[in-house]
Amino acid sequence: MTRPDPTTSVLTGSAGTPVLEVDDLHVEFRTRSGVVNAVNGISYSLAEGQTLAILGESGSGKSVSAQAIMGILDSPPAVITGGGILFEGRDLLTQSPEEQRKVRGPGISMIFQDALSSLNPVYSVGYQIGEMFRAHRGTSKRDAKKHAVELMDRVRIPGAASRVDDFPHQFSGGMRQRVMIAMAIALDPRVLIADEPTTALDVTVQAQVMDLLKDLQRDTGMGLVLITHDLGVVNEVADDVAVMYAGRIVERGTVDDVFGNPAHPYTEGLMNSVPQVEAKGGRLQPIVGQPPNLAAIPSGCPFHPRCARRRLGADAAPGRECATDVPPLRLVVPGREAACHYSEEVLGV
Amino acid sequence: MTEQQQMDLRRDEVEAGAQTGLASPSVDVTSGRQNSLWGDAWRDLRRNPLFWIGAVLGLSFLLMALVPQLFARGADPRDCDLSNSNQKPSAEHWFGFDQQGCDYLANVVHGARNSLIIGLLAVAVVLVLGVVVGAIAGFYGRWLDGLLSRLTDIFYALPLILGALVVLRSGILGRGVVAVAIALAAFGWMTAMRLVRSQVIAVKSSDYVAAARAMGASNRRILVRHILPNAVAPVLVYTTITIGVLIAAEATLTFLGVGLQRPAISWGLQIENGQSLLRTAPHLVLFPSLVLTLTVMAFIMMGDALRDALDPRQRA
Amino acid sequence: MGRYIARRLLLTIPVLIGASFLIFALVYALPGDPIRALGGERPLSPAVVAQLREEFNLDDPLVVQYAKYVGDLLQGDLGTDFRGREVSETITQRLPVTLRLTVVAIAIETVIGIIAGVLAGIRRNGFLDNLVLVSSTLIVSVPILVLAFVAQFVLGLQFGWFPIAGINEGWLSYVLPGLVLASGSLAYVARLTRTSIAENLRADYVRTARAKGLPNRTVIGRHTLRNSLIPVVTFIGADIGTLMGGAIVTETVFNLPGIGRAVFDSVQAQEGAVVVGIVTLMVFFFIFFNLVVDVLYAVLDPRIRYD
Repeated sequence: MTRPDPTTSVLTGSAGTPVLEVDDLHVEFRTRSGVVNAVNGISYSLAEGQTLAILGESGSGKSVSAQAIMGILDSPPAVITGGGILFEGRDLLTQSPEEQRKVRGPGISMIFQDALSSLNPVYSVGYQIGEMFRAHRGTSKRDAKKHAVELMDRVRIPGAASRVDDFPHQFSGGMRQRVMIAMAIALDPRVLIADEPTTALDVTVQAQVMDLLKDLQRDTGMGLVLITHDLGVVNEVADDVAVMYAGRIVERGTVDDVFGNPAHPYTEGLMNSVPQVEAKGGRLQPIVGQPPNLAAIPSGCPFHPRCARRRLGADAAPGRECATDVPPLRLVVPGREAACHYSEEVLGV
Repeated sequence: MTEQQQMDLRRDEVEAGAQTGLASPSVDVTSGRQNSLWGDAWRDLRRNPLFWIGAVLGLSFLLMALVPQLFARGADPRDCDLSNSNQKPSAEHWFGFDQQGCDYLANVVHGARNSLIIGLLAVAVVLVLGVVVGAIAGFYGRWLDGLLSRLTDIFYALPLILGALVVLRSGILGRGVVAVAIALAAFGWMTAMRLVRSQVIAVKSSDYVAAARAMGASNRRILVRHILPNAVAPVLVYTTITIGVLIAAEATLTFLGVGLQRPAISWGLQIENGQSLLRTAPHLVLFPSLVLTLTVMAFIMMGDALRDALDPRQRA
Repeated sequence: MGRYIARRLLLTIPVLIGASFLIFALVYALPGDPIRALGGERPLSPAVVAQLREEFNLDDPLVVQYAKYVGDLLQGDLGTDFRGREVSETITQRLPVTLRLTVVAIAIETVIGIIAGVLAGIRRNGFLDNLVLVSSTLIVSVPILVLAFVAQFVLGLQFGWFPIAGINEGWLSYVLPGLVLASGSLAYVARLTRTSIAENLRADYVRTARAKGLPNRTVIGRHTLRNSLIPVVTFIGADIGTLMGGAIVTETVFNLPGIGRAVFDSVQAQEGAVVVGIVTLMVFFFIFFNLVVDVLYAVLDPRIRYD
């Protein structure tokens, strides 16, 4: 598979036309104990056949933004306070709930981390897959079941025809995730959002599931948004990566570029905190401090309290004080954006 | 755990949970989390109007039982004049007069004491039986648990009112306040037992009990210091609600003619007397019923509020 | 499944025997001499008394009496009361009344309870939710005795909609007692449904159903209600067993000649055979419906398997 040209990748989404564009999306949770700013203005676009990884620790807003795109945020407490979500050029946020619903499934679909709790325990897997056809295409019960068997075959569930009437708890973790995938690709969606699809699985099974996703993407040309905190998964399957921190995208570029030479201290910290085969014997350096409290995001650069390269007070360049000036996401070098006042230093250019 | 035990446990939790909603095992009381459980619970409780309504009603009832003179407006319940028989409520006599021409307010107010004594006494016996039997069954397990659990099943299959009715009618215990309380407790301890038992079994298999055991703590110490404190939250909720339930049951037994007898003053007796006069003097049933209801409500509201406050699942 | 049911049935035998023996022993301790009481003003001759005592095994030790009773019971003989009337006949005559009362009560608690619970659970913290919460607390707080009088006084006497006692007006006679009897369970069903729905609405699989683009009525109807009603249905199942055991208070206050009223009258009249016979039947219903509920659980929730 050829990677798209890195320059066009960041600026227009990819060589192809974008199917999904997220524009300055803001989401907050209004709870009794205050407002939590979960997503604070993220933008990206995704082309057909492209795989975009969204990388971040829990609480960085990566799952919330995905649920906002799907229109399945629990509201209240969640409220989308600004921005746009364009699917094939039309803003989903301005459409009626009924129009939004019709996009979910045939347009955009999603798979979740924990397939056991995400599948309804009291219906057979065949029923739950077949539901896609019945709800969106009015297919008969019998034909829906036939489609379900075909799909289970397609996601390589052995003995699909005999297992179609089994219940979710009768499958292994990997097989359950395949059922989720079968359900999600049932109506040939243009975009598939996979929210930590392999986190709950054994390592060997993880690879099989990721391979399956890649194969399906190649066959159908759908765009894939892969939400994960697993650098290894990103490295293997994604074309581009967006790193999120405190509800913002802090760095974006092709996987090779970003992983090869990070432009943001947070990305740099992530790279240093995982073991690498090439750097055997070296010491792991965890990122110091705690992930930010989204109800009280630090002023200036949200990462500055944990940043080893921060410049405060007189050390800082004018207008680039880490604790007071918010760094915008800017083009640092061609094909690379980062939200750090001192990205050039981090990159070493 | 044997298969039978697991099945029992599941059933116990469902049934006990049906009464308190608190059957899920809690955490170790010695940890900070448990302390914050009580702290959080009190914060929730203070904000709950149902709790305050219940507490005010409960306190009034308590005061009424301790010093009825405060509420009787100077009337003596035994000072009766037949010429006043069945008089309707008036500005002078708020609750009117009963058939014997006694001031009804004074009578209703003086009924609180017996209700309270029976409610508290019965619940105390329920607690002792429930905690002892439940802890033994849950802690020692095996055949002893099987035996005690079947024994509990036997009592569970008999309705509270029916069992107490037969015991009281048999006359083994007599017909006084203590007799009624014991008869009620004898057929009302099973839920407490199941609550304690399921808590004990859940906590017994937890890591921190294994740790205590590894450090050489004795069975008794583990049971008393580590396991029982965990059962406090659900048992407290259950106890509060049960006082109300038992007070209502006492009135019912007395109404059916097997509880307290004249010359005792009791809401059940008052309702029973008024029943035949429902058409002509409805106030005779109305007032004791009203006060009885408010009393039961006080305990159920407090228990409900307590459960909501203590149940972590209710927290968002 | 078959093995599980067989095992459960075996386990019910000691409970059934234990409960009936308990009642038997208590009834045996009932005061007074029922045989003498039977004679009234004119005392029976010693010969007749001796013959009656012999016939009812009154001179045997308790355990022997009970063994003889169980022996007869196994042959389908529940014994007779002191007036020579078959206990089984009393039961066949009284049971239909209790059965009708149960049907009415279960219908009321199911329909009203589930509707109220669903409305409350779907919009948690909304107006209906608070209404259901407060009213269910109020209802469970009112002793059944008091509720019976309120129903008789308001719906029976003031409005005159329903007869307040007896069974002379067919099903209409059962409305007030059914309502009173159902009240506690009604409140509980409403609360259980509410909690269950509110919990299920937050479940991951409901989120999945939304993500699948299913219409709202499918998300609520098939993916939320279906799962939420499992505990509710099983509670109602168990409640049938409890209600079939007769409602002593309700049947007494409303003067319904069901088995609850019969057992109350028999306790008062010291009719041991009738009390033990009916109580054994009640316990049987209770245990039987609890077993039905466990089986129902496995049918409704495919995750539960008893093997």
